Amino acid sequence: MSILADTRVSRRSLLAGAGAFGLASMVNPKVSWSSDGPILKVRSYADIQTLDPCFRLAAPEGDITSVIFAGLVVTTPGDSWGWRPMAAETIKQLDPLTVAFQLRDNIGFTDGYGQMTAEDVKFSIERIADPANKSPYSGDWATLKEVEVKDKLSGLIHLKQAFAPLWTSTLPTPSGTILSKRAITELGGKMGVKPVAQSGPYILKEWLPKQRTVLVRNPDWKYEQGAFAEIHIHPIEDEKTAELGYEAGDLDYTWTAVSSISRLKQTPPPKTTVVEKPSLAFVWLGMNQDVAPFNNPNMRRAVQYAVDRKAVVDAAYFGAAATATGIIAPGLPGHREKNLFDFDPDRARDMIAKEGLAGTTITLDILNKTERLTAAQVVQSNLQDVGLNVEIKQNDSGTFWTLGAKEGDYWKKLQMIISRFSMQPDPSWATAWFTRDQIGVWNWERFSSEEFDKLNAEGMVELDPAKRDVIYKKLQDLMEENGNYVFLTHEVTGIMNRDTLVAGLKPNGEPVFTDFKPA
Amino acid sequence: MIRYALKRLWLGAIIISVAMMMMFAMVYLIPGDPASVALGPRATPEMMEALRVRMGLDQPVWRQFLHFYGSVLRGDLGTEVLSNRPVLDVVIEQLPFTLALVVGGITWSVALGIPLGCIAAVRRGGFVDQVIGVLSVAMIAVPSFVVAIYSLLVFAVALQWLPAIGAGEPGDLTSRLQHLILPSLAVGLGWIGYISRIVRASMLETLEASHIRTARAFGLTENRIVYTYALRIAVLPTITLLGVGIGHMLSSSVFAEIVFARPGIGKLVYEAISVRNYPIVSGAVLVTTVFFVLVNVAADILVGVLDPRVRSSFN
Repeated sequence: MSILADTRVSRRSLLAGAGAFGLASMVNPKVSWSSDGPILKVRSYADIQTLDPCFRLAAPEGDITSVIFAGLVVTTPGDSWGWRPMAAETIKQLDPLTVAFQLRDNIGFTDGYGQMTAEDVKFSIERIADPANKSPYSGDWATLKEVEVKDKLSGLIHLKQAFAPLWTSTLPTPSGTILSKRAITELGGKMGVKPVAQSGPYILKEWLPKQRTVLVRNPDWKYEQGAFAEIHIHPIEDEKTAELGYEAGDLDYTWTAVSSISRLKQTPPPKTTVVEKPSLAFVWLGMNQDVAPFNNPNMRRAVQYAVDRKAVVDAAYFGAAATATGIIAPGLPGHREKNLFDFDPDRARDMIAKEGLAGTTITLDILNKTERLTAAQVVQSNLQDVGLNVEIKQNDSGTFWTLGAKEGDYWKKLQMIISRFSMQPDPSWATAWFTRDQIGVWNWERFSSEEFDKLNAEGMVELDPAKRDVIYKKLQDLMEENGNYVFLTHEVTGIMNRDTLVAGLKPNGEPVFTDFKPA
Repeated sequence: MIRYALKRLWLGAIIISVAMMMMFAMVYLIPGDPASVALGPRATPEMMEALRVRMGLDQPVWRQFLHFYGSVLRGDLGTEVLSNRPVLDVVIEQLPFTLALVVGGITWSVALGIPLGCIAAVRRGGFVDQVIGVLSVAMIAVPSFVVAIYSLLVFAVALQWLPAIGAGEPGDLTSRLQHLILPSLAVGLGWIGYISRIVRASMLETLEASHIRTARAFGLTENRIVYTYALRIAVLPTITLLGVGIGHMLSSSVFAEIVFARPGIGKLVYEAISVRNYPIVSGAVLVTTVFFVLVNVAADILVGVLDPRVRSSFN
């Protein structure tokens, strides 16, 4: 009897067949298409907690609000910072205190909230600027006087003072998003995680907490449509997990761990593009000038000479990141070409000996992240080499971000920290935290300079890029001359995406979802 | 029997109260300010103070404790201050994912652990018994996060048979099961070893019992004796062990949820502690503690139902 002719079905063969079918059905089908076109699957490092641009908590929320709510302008992808109109047909700075805008005539809000008008622009901007609303982003409109409505679609934004960050870190960001006045009023003044009156090229179709957010093309968006029918955003906190998810085919785009960049560039996953983008963030070693031994300026200077910044950064970032010359990243006004004080261990040793501080033990507080610990260990070794003992104290994020707060007591013991701030593409975002009124808030080094405060205020209202460049360079000089800071790095962002995809990325690697396109 | 069940429930209520007191103390003893963590560097001191007031952190700890207990008794776990969502909603929407993980882990451990234990007992002292013994101890010894990472690397990344991240498509049972296989294996693998050892020991004891000797004397087949008469008795300690095991799996689920980027209670609590989101921590710990206690009470009652000796000893 031939095999083909043997069609008897035994109990055993039936069970085996069912088992095989079950296993086969379990094998992951890599479906990446919806009924309307391709699906883009991306990773974000945090889930959303609010979709109100006024009260956004993290960048992933901004990435989403920027595509579901139209702003007057939006950041363009590319290697240099720029913007293009979105809801605005035209927008122009008439003089340092006045911006004129004309809305496009056919931008509608979903859920029956009608057409976007200049009244909505006035409401949205004044809402975020109004101190009574307690938006953490009110500073983005710090010099707003009012928004004047000229007619249904046009108006004027009046400022009390010129405001240099307006076109870099205010209008193109979620702080420039236009919401429906009627919708927000009906919601009682605040929106949560359920967006109402969406107006962007995509709309939020589904949010499954801790699982994914699904955006779909807005059928009523009359301008250039996004290339992907759906965008699935998966919140994955851990970068290594995201890398594995990508390698398993579950993601099309993700940021990578800094420690993985070299490996991924050498041996990328199949059909993958790996790129590095310079980050705007800045990482530094800070010294609290109100606590011994750093109340001694020579001790601060000695540490500046003692730390081999290149060794610190190479070790912590696996050679992927460059050392920083200050807190303002390359490409922005105020970026310095070099530091004032660099690695000179002999000089550091001499200074410490002269001060009679050899053998002093210092506590270095850090966040419990791998790269911070590595950086701290190299600093520890550098300082040991010049006669100082360093005890590294790791803190979880909940503890770390309160160490220097004036409400607590720890700032009186805080000696040295390695910290990191992220920022927007305007130098004012870097310097704002080191003024005297920030002492005990975010200025944990308790750096205090009247000249710094004065120049910082000038930088906010100076519109001439060349003059701003001088101001912000001087601000960093003041920080470094006072000895409180050793500028370490701006870090680097590693990104990988499928070859079949052209990722729309801002110069620092943040995604612009509307500009992701099939290759 | 009802008296037995009520006693177990009363004990469960005491356990929940003590666990909540310990949790509350731990949460408030750790340093850190939820307002500054949540609002970030752009927040002014006034905004941070306003959030502290909204979270009730301006009140003395004892008052916060009493307020929390009072609210719980009214069935209100509070509101998550950042998203303005009820804590109960946030916790309840994550709970099924962790329960699925635990049930999956139990399924692995029971489906493999009990047969392995039986086979080892029947082949006592032989080669198969020794192999199963070594395997069982190995499974117990390997931490669940190691299993998670390696299973992910092998089955998701290298072979691409199974998905690496997420919990699957809503409403698609096949997708949900695909996404459950590796995480539940990571959570349940160690318990395959535990159950195999327990069943083996219990089975060996049972096989020496007089009623089994009588069954043999009546000429019943060995398979029928082992799997029908002996197993019914031998499996009883496993039920109690599983009650405890569920608590262990709940705590180890956090690794699987992080490694596989799955939603769930473990990850929810981990993230909430990181940002000092106290209402979520309190709510999630309360719900899981209640669940754990109820499962253990159910296990105790089940053992009591199946084994009259347990009932009578309690009485």
